[in-house]
Amino acid sequence: MDSPDNRIGIVAVVSLLMLSSFSIVAVAQNSDAGEGSIAWGLMLCLLPFMILALFGILWSLAYPALFIWGAAFSSGDVEKSHQDAISRRMVSREKAGKEILNTINGGYRGDVSSSGLVHANGVFGPSHWQLLIAFFNNLVGGSVTSFQQVISAGRAEVMQRLREQAEAQGWDEVINVRIDTSSMTPQSQNNKNTVRGVEIFAYGTGIRYD
Amino acid sequence: MEQVVNGILVVNTETIPGKIITETMGVVSGSTVRAKHLGKDIFAGLRNIVGGELTQYTELLQESRQEAVGRMVSDAMSIGATAVVNVRFATSAITSGAAELFAYGTAVKYE
Repeated sequence: MDSPDNRIGIVAVVSLLMLSSFSIVAVAQNSDAGEGSIAWGLMLCLLPFMILALFGILWSLAYPALFIWGAAFSSGDVEKSHQDAISRRMVSREKAGKEILNTINGGYRGDVSSSGLVHANGVFGPSHWQLLIAFFNNLVGGSVTSFQQVISAGRAEVMQRLREQAEAQGWDEVINVRIDTSSMTPQSQNNKNTVRGVEIFAYGTGIRYD
Repeated sequence: MEQVVNGILVVNTETIPGKIITETMGVVSGSTVRAKHLGKDIFAGLRNIVGGELTQYTELLQESRQEAVGRMVSDAMSIGATAVVNVRFATSAITSGAAELFAYGTAVKYE
């Protein structure tokens, strides 16, 4: 009961109940208008609950469809975006004449005119189908290929974004590149049904020669 | 083209390439805790079923990180530094709803 989601839920339900009870009182006070208006007023009181029910129905229809969509296309899409990042990397490597990202602090020429921070990020998550596959992978042990695909494709994409960022800002080279990977949503007992995603963040120092 | 935030040079190397550091002035830091709003959260939840990049969160974290860097820079300005070197970033998810982004570095004077 400590998580903020639960608190928001409690506040929502309490406010809905208060809203409907206030409406009932208001309708009862104006009851001399006739029977038809009372029925209409009751419908009005139930409107918030009907909207909630509508969301529930839409969700129960949409979830299986999205799940099947994910099962059919998610691993193919991940593979495609990985290939796309690699081909864009080739393009920018040809444009610069070399690989512009370095993890070492040094190795640059002496005639540096300016420098500054460059950073790029991305949040990537496996589909629910891939989570299911990973669950079965966990039972037998070994490598969890579906997660590995998602993370390596994401990392390639973020590195490419860093290259493009450096090109756009006019840096000749990026030194001391660091890559951070952090789970955006820690799994605890309070939040089981949250968004699962990994944030990949790459940063470095762009340098520019005279 | 010097990439300067409010007159302060920010790099994540220990030295400033092509410049000489004359004085170090201690650690400066900036942090921000951000929560995503409900609408974006619902969309991200739907996107999560299908898989792939969660663009809403990417933008959110990008903006928050810029804010953290901005706070670090104003911290450095308040003590009269001209650059921040060796900048590091740390991210911690406090709950499922909010993430803290923290940027820290060493304030220096250079010539």
